[in-house]
Amino acid sequence: MKFVIEGLTVYFPYEFIYREQYAYMVELKHALDARGHCLLEMPTGTGKTITLLSLITSYQLANPSLAKLIYCTRTVHEMEKVLDELRRLHLYQEKEIGSSRAKILALGLSSRKNLCIHPVVSGETSRESVDAGCRKLTASWVRAAAETNLDIETCSFYQGYEKQGSEQPLPPGVYTLHDLRVYGRQRGWCPYFLARQMIQFANVVVYNYQYLLDPKVSGIISKEMQKECIVVFDEAHNIDNVCIEALSVNLRQNNLDGASRNIHKLNQIISRFKETDANRLRQEYNRLVEGLAQQGNLHGSDNWLANPVLPEDILREAVPGNIRRAEHFVAFLQRAVQYLRERLDTDTVVKEGPVSFTTTMSTAAGLDQKALKFCYDRLHSLLLTLEVTEIDEFLHVQTVCNFLTLVGTYTRGFSIIIEPYDERMPHIPDPVLQLSCLDASLAIKPVFDRFQSVVITSGTLSPIDLYPRLLNFNPVIIHSFTMTLTRDCLCPMILARGSDQLPVSSKFDMRSDPGVVRNYGRLLLEMVATVPDGVVCFFVSYSYMDGIINSWNEMGILQEVMQHKLVFIETQDYVETTLALENFRQACDCGRGAVFFSVARGKVAEGIDFDRHYGRLVIMFGVPFQYTLSKILNARLEYLRDTFQIKEGDFLTFDAVRQAAQCVGRVIRSKADYGMMIFADKRYNLPNKRNKLPQWIQSQLREEHLNLSTDMAVHIAREFLRRMAQPSDPQVSKSTLLSQEDLEKMAAMPNF
Amino acid sequence: MEEEDKAPDMEAWERAYADDRSWESLIEDESGLLKAGDDVQQQRQHRRRLIQASGPRIQRGIIRYLCLILDFSRAAGEIDFRPSRMAVVAKAVEDFVREYFDQNPLSQLGIIVMKNGIASVVTELSGSPEAHIRALKSNLESFGEASLQNGLELAHTYVQHIPSYGHREVVIVFSALSTCDPGNILETVKKCKAARMKCSVVGLTAEIYICKHISQETGGSYAVAMNEGHLKEILLEHVPPPAAMPDASSASLVRMGFPQRGSEGAVAICACHKELRIGGGYICPRCRARVCELPTECSLCGLALVSSAHLARSYHHLFPIPTFDELLVDASLRGKSSFAGSCFGCRIQLSGGGSLRLRCPRCKRDFCFDCDVYIHESLHNCPGCETLQEEAVT
Repeated sequence: MKFVIEGLTVYFPYEFIYREQYAYMVELKHALDARGHCLLEMPTGTGKTITLLSLITSYQLANPSLAKLIYCTRTVHEMEKVLDELRRLHLYQEKEIGSSRAKILALGLSSRKNLCIHPVVSGETSRESVDAGCRKLTASWVRAAAETNLDIETCSFYQGYEKQGSEQPLPPGVYTLHDLRVYGRQRGWCPYFLARQMIQFANVVVYNYQYLLDPKVSGIISKEMQKECIVVFDEAHNIDNVCIEALSVNLRQNNLDGASRNIHKLNQIISRFKETDANRLRQEYNRLVEGLAQQGNLHGSDNWLANPVLPEDILREAVPGNIRRAEHFVAFLQRAVQYLRERLDTDTVVKEGPVSFTTTMSTAAGLDQKALKFCYDRLHSLLLTLEVTEIDEFLHVQTVCNFLTLVGTYTRGFSIIIEPYDERMPHIPDPVLQLSCLDASLAIKPVFDRFQSVVITSGTLSPIDLYPRLLNFNPVIIHSFTMTLTRDCLCPMILARGSDQLPVSSKFDMRSDPGVVRNYGRLLLEMVATVPDGVVCFFVSYSYMDGIINSWNEMGILQEVMQHKLVFIETQDYVETTLALENFRQACDCGRGAVFFSVARGKVAEGIDFDRHYGRLVIMFGVPFQYTLSKILNARLEYLRDTFQIKEGDFLTFDAVRQAAQCVGRVIRSKADYGMMIFADKRYNLPNKRNKLPQWIQSQLREEHLNLSTDMAVHIAREFLRRMAQPSDPQVSKSTLLSQEDLEKMAAMPNF
Repeated sequence: MEEEDKAPDMEAWERAYADDRSWESLIEDESGLLKAGDDVQQQRQHRRRLIQASGPRIQRGIIRYLCLILDFSRAAGEIDFRPSRMAVVAKAVEDFVREYFDQNPLSQLGIIVMKNGIASVVTELSGSPEAHIRALKSNLESFGEASLQNGLELAHTYVQHIPSYGHREVVIVFSALSTCDPGNILETVKKCKAARMKCSVVGLTAEIYICKHISQETGGSYAVAMNEGHLKEILLEHVPPPAAMPDASSASLVRMGFPQRGSEGAVAICACHKELRIGGGYICPRCRARVCELPTECSLCGLALVSSAHLARSYHHLFPIPTFDELLVDASLRGKSSFAGSCFGCRIQLSGGGSLRLRCPRCKRDFCFDCDVYIHESLHNCPGCETLQEEAVT
């Protein structure tokens, strides 16, 4: 359908549109008109992606001055979904306005691991090893050597791309990762480098958050994006954590050991070079005298990771003298590693600011701050000069340099915490030196400054007014949309008491109480006997989950649960969890029924959908507060209080409730779906928790569903499931949809 | 408005009586007589269901072989239906069986029960309602798990030797929430689909994915009962014969025998019970064997034995009476001769209100609501059309 919003013709590939989608478009258009940033919350299952794409591409058609739409997703799977929707939209646009006007180039960009088509390299398992494998075949000196020596192996796809692909643009269209691989195979071109080249010409680029937020990556990938871009962060409820992770480094014993080994190896290579090709080292020295390490036209395949510091903080000056020479630099690194090792060898927890850390560093080990800043670039230059291709082996020294550069550059917004052991397991020594970024606004600031409009959207952004403070920006539009439902297909409940009418909670002083554990067990047991197919349970942490499952096993509750449904458990092992999920799905499909135990903030809670029969019920056992004794968290809370005036309690509750909302939101992925959500903790009853839930959950949370006990919840569940099993009336579900005529009618009424 | 909002939120115990609180809907008319609520509205509602059910005239399969799979697993012992799910199911099935044979005299039915992980035959495919009900009543106990796969496999072996013109149907009444299968049930579903078994499921608790899958794959229906009344209703939806299978449309000759009733005093060895019986019984016209009841299959020569009354009773499914049109009582028409009349069936005055005025589209005679129901649900003949034919003959 095609309709007009305030003078803008919008092409929408479906016949009907939800009311909230229309409202979303109106708000989004206002933000784009104002050339400002916006923050929009709309529940999952209302077609957020297509709404965004449809409005922004239509906006692009109307305003050709706009450069690109940059759509950031968190996972490859989401990326493919976005591109699929875009393809449908594109076909529709072509039909409406002809293929010449609707011409767009849209593509997804991902790491080499997802795009490589080289028969050997693509078989590697980890991202780093694929990158290294690629480098071994495509680095400029390797290819130069291969021209004379035919025995040296190169990548035919990269060669093909070099010869022709880099000049020729891709034909217009929508390319998913799969399409790129297919196209690359057909032409014999490398899809990864092709895609990287083509983002310059593309109208729509879909890639991971990291490509914009992590300075190491965005420095090479997203450097040349124009200001007139619209940036969308989808599923952005955790964007502050992504920003923080992009600028944080952890160093452990094994990193330092690895770094020492790397340095040793570097020394060997340097001495070898000195004997054979001393000239090269001298050239490098000269280049460094002249300017920056990164300067000069490095070849496309040679750059791997840019400076970890934000672009505007990179010093535009020459590398200091004391690390210009390769052997001096290596010695410098050796001293640094030695110093870090000494610091790591401590019995007490140390918390320091970057300023005092660098001062003691320079007095104790003679490592001056200015040289620290250049470590990363200097290492980069050295590795290039030495023609090292096995970069996956040099990861440790890179991590160390990353740390040194960040520590040298930033004086505030960071803290350095050295812990001799994990708080929760004090008898196992596991020293860790953490450089933790406390300020989420640091990493995202360049994005806000650089681009015209940044759209931050998700299904759960409540309380929405906290995000502008956390990220330190001024959105022009903040809006939270509710869902228009044809039937009450959501059934949130707050369970405060167990079957014996005693309160249940995961509060620290109550969580090991056998009564609470038993009450939680009874709740699960009653529910698996009432709810068909899939049930998902979320616990507040791995240790809590392990503890409670053990107790249930001893009490015999687990055995009783197994009579009704099979039990699957998420573990920290990725492969094991994937296998468990697969079997869980199978058990739901064949009617056996299954229950999945999982952890809030885990992988499952973040990325896996339990839609339709895979999740008819989700139980959130407890409130998923962060581990409040964590030193990093405390440092961040302190920083937030001092800098942004956000109270500790407010932030903790906000964070816990958004995680809980994220967990329970897993079960409902579309309006035709239905599911129940049980918040099993008495603390959810408090208004300060309840009111922070997203609007679309709150609006379904009826008065009589608060403060329930187990038997009441079972009763409600039974009724709800029977009601939902009745066929829905197609006439009613039409009423929430708007057709083209409805929209035209609405447009005719000026005061709508 | 507020009342409406409140209605679904009634307490559970209240809801059970909601239908019984008929005193609240009583209305006193001007002469002081009590009338039950808004009749016309209720009548319309009733008719809407009928109209939905009827649809255009279609070919129907009147020779059906229906396999009833009942779930008597542990879940059937739950007491959210009173006295227990199992008892409620048994009662509903009893009604269903009677109604089924009443409307489909040429059809057969068998009962399978799932309990303790296995499926067992309660009654073989046969035509006597009383035998089924008796066997079912002696089998009421519930324990163990339910296995849909075992149930379907058993039903599958059941229907294999059914002649091709017969409709193979399975109706599963399922109380459990999960099925505990020995193998992959999806394979079994495929097998059932290949054998053209139409599997429908009636659930008692909630929507279960595998049940939905089974019914969708095999072309059956799936419904979940809200309460006891609803359970009966959705079970009875399986009573009218289904539309004929599209691929079975080629005509084929079905041999049938119309046996004579044996004389009262005769003594003969009964072919179905294999013992000496006196009196009654029917004699197969081909092999002269004695059988006890109709319809059945002669156990000696395999001929289908029916009585002509059975055929006649099945006939109305093929040629249903058209649904009557409702005439809106329009003020301008009132008093005109064509409108003044009374119900052609029972002579009740139609102009007084209190009943819909319904007109047969063929003979243009008017009927009251009660006669309409009687004609369509029991009589299966329109008196108006019949008299027209008589007039034409004379």
